[in-house]
Amino acid sequence: MDTLNYIILVPMVYLSSAIFIAGMIYRITSIFKKPVLTIPLRIYPEKNPVWLYTLIDTFLMPQVFKAKPVMWYFLIIFHGSVFLLIIGHIELIQMFDIFQIIEHDVFLGKGFIGLSLFVSLLYFLFRRFTPQAKHLSVLEDYILLTLLLMTVILGSEMDWARTWFGFQEMTVEDYQTYLKSLLFFKPDISDVTYSGHSFMLVFHVFFANLFIMFFPFSKMMHAIFTIPLNKIRRG
Amino acid sequence: METDLREDLLKAFEGKLNQTITMYLETCSRCGICTDSCHVYKSMPRPEYSPAARAEVIRKLYKKYFKFQGKLLPALGEARSFDDTTLDDLNRAAYSCTGCRRCMTHCPFGIDTQQIMSIAKLMLVVAKEEPEILSMLADVSISKGESIDMIKQGFIDGLKRLEKDVVKKWKLEAGQIPIPTEVQGADILYVALAGAHSIIPAAAVFNAAKENWTLSFFEAVNFGAFVGDPAKTKLIMDRIINEAKKLNVKEVCICECGTAFRVLKQMSGKQPFKVSSITQVHERYIKENKIKVAKNQFNGVITYHDPCQIARNGGVMDEPRFILSQLTDEFIDMAKRAENNYCCGGGGGLVAMGEDSHDFRMKSAKVKADQVKATNASLLVTACENCHSQLSDLNKYYNMGVEVKFLSSMVADALIHD
Repeated sequence: MDTLNYIILVPMVYLSSAIFIAGMIYRITSIFKKPVLTIPLRIYPEKNPVWLYTLIDTFLMPQVFKAKPVMWYFLIIFHGSVFLLIIGHIELIQMFDIFQIIEHDVFLGKGFIGLSLFVSLLYFLFRRFTPQAKHLSVLEDYILLTLLLMTVILGSEMDWARTWFGFQEMTVEDYQTYLKSLLFFKPDISDVTYSGHSFMLVFHVFFANLFIMFFPFSKMMHAIFTIPLNKIRRG
Repeated sequence: METDLREDLLKAFEGKLNQTITMYLETCSRCGICTDSCHVYKSMPRPEYSPAARAEVIRKLYKKYFKFQGKLLPALGEARSFDDTTLDDLNRAAYSCTGCRRCMTHCPFGIDTQQIMSIAKLMLVVAKEEPEILSMLADVSISKGESIDMIKQGFIDGLKRLEKDVVKKWKLEAGQIPIPTEVQGADILYVALAGAHSIIPAAAVFNAAKENWTLSFFEAVNFGAFVGDPAKTKLIMDRIINEAKKLNVKEVCICECGTAFRVLKQMSGKQPFKVSSITQVHERYIKENKIKVAKNQFNGVITYHDPCQIARNGGVMDEPRFILSQLTDEFIDMAKRAENNYCCGGGGGLVAMGEDSHDFRMKSAKVKADQVKATNASLLVTACENCHSQLSDLNKYYNMGVEVKFLSSMVADALIHD
C-alpha cells in the first residue's frame, strides 16, 4: 500500500506534469506552425477596443448569458471557482502577499469553493444526459467530467474536514511540506500519509494526475484557444 | 471507399487545416449552446441539425487522421474512418448549413461552423459528389471571364434594350448614358446580377445621383463560394478585381447579393479600390442629398430581413434601416434583428439548387416565416437576391401574405426631383 501511495504521490505526479508540459508545448507549437488564415472572420457590429471585447467574450461570455442564462451561471461559478482553487493550490506550496489582498486562511473560501465546483460539475454531468446534449456528447466529455468530479469531491472532503469539522491531523503545513518537497525534487510524503484521511489525498492526486495527463490531448485545450478565437470573431 | 479517393480527400482536408480551423476543431466542448441558434434546428429540432453536430462529422474524421488522441484511443472522441457513408454524412452536414454564422455569435469560443463546413464542401468537390448545378454555374462564370471579348458585344446589345426602362425611372440630363460600360477612371464600378431587375433600378439611382459610374461585364454572384471550391471562388472573384483595376475605378459597388459582397469585401485582400454594397451607396446618396426619395409611397407596415452575409457577416445593418426611415413611417423590425436575425434558409447555395432543395428550404425556414408573420407587415424588404428568392418561396409556402421587395428597387421607385 505504501508503495502504491508513493507511486501516485511522487512518480505519477512528475510523469503527469511532464506529459502536461510537453503535451501543451507540442500541441500549441504544432498548431501555430500551420498556415495563417488571412481572410477576416469577424462578426459585426464592430466594437472597439477589440482586445477589451475579446476579454469580455472570453471571461464573461455575454453570448451564453443571452442564449442560456442557467448554463451561464454555472459556467461562471465553475470557472471562477477553478481560478480561486488554482490560487488555493499555489498557496499550498507558498504563501504570496498578492493573494492576501483580501485576507483569508489557506485554503481560501472556507470550503464553499469546492462545494460550488462540485454542484456545477454535477449540473454539467447531468445535462450531458439530456436529449439535446446527449447526441453531441462523446466518451471524452463524460470521462473529463468524471475525473474532475472525483478530483473535486476528494479534494473538497479534505478541505471540509479541516474547515468544517476541525480535523487537524493533516494541516496546511503538512500539505506545504509535501508539495514543496515535490517542487524541489526531494520528495517527502511522510507528513501526508500517516493519517486516516491520507487515502483522500492519494485518490485526489490520482484523479488529478489522470486529468492533467489527458488535458493537452482533449477539448480542454479550449483553455488556451478561447482568447485567440474570440479575437478572430471580434476582428 | 477506394484508397485513391481516401488519399485525395485527406490531402484536401489537410490543405484546409490552417491555424484558425485547427483551433476550431480542437476547441469545441460540445456544450450545445449553438443548437438553438440554428434556424434549421429551430424549425426542425433534430439532433443532427445542431451546428455542433454538423461540425462533429468533420471533427471525428479530424481526430482519426490528424490527432494523437484519435489514433491512440479512437473511442474517446468517436473518431471515425472514411467509409461508404462518409460522403453522404458530409453532404447532409454541409448542405443543411447555409453558412449564416448565427451560431458563431452564440458560441462561447466563437467557432465558425461555416469554416468547418468548408472542409466538408471541399471534400465533396474532390469526390465529385457536390451539387452538380453549383459547379456548373461556377464553370459558366469562369468561362465567361475567359471569353469576355467574345460575349461583350452581345452584352452591350442586351443593355440597349434596358435603356428605355432606366429612363422611365429617371429622366437623363444631356450627355448622360443610361447604362455606361467600360468607363475608364469611373468613380464606381457597379457589379450586378444577370437580370434586368438588378440593373435597371440601380442605374436609375446612379443617374439620379449624377454618379460617374460604369457597369461591370460580369455578374456578381460567386458560385465557387457556394460550392466551396477555393480555386473557382478565386477565379470568379478575380474577374471583377481585374476589371476594376483595368478601369482604375475608386469603388466597386456590389448589387444586392450577400455572398458576392462578402467574398469581394473580405477575400479580395488589399486592393486599390473600396468595396461597398449598393445599400451603403444608396444610404450615402440620401445622406449627402445626392438623391431625394418620397416618403410613404409604399402603403402598409414594412419590415426588413437582414441578409446574413451583408448584415452579421458584412456589417451593413444601420444603412438599410436609415433608408427605410426615409421611405416610410411604418417600419417595424423583426423580434430578432440585425446580427441576431435568423437566416432566410436560402444561403450556402441552397436557392441556386432550385427544386432539389425546395422541400428542405421550406421546412427548415419555418422560424423565419413565423418571424415575418409576427410583424404583421404587408411589405417584406431585403437586400439580397438569394434571400429575395427564398422569402418569395416562403411567402407562398406559408401564406405569409406579404409582398417581397428589393430595397434598391424601392429607392429607385421613390426617386423624386428637387
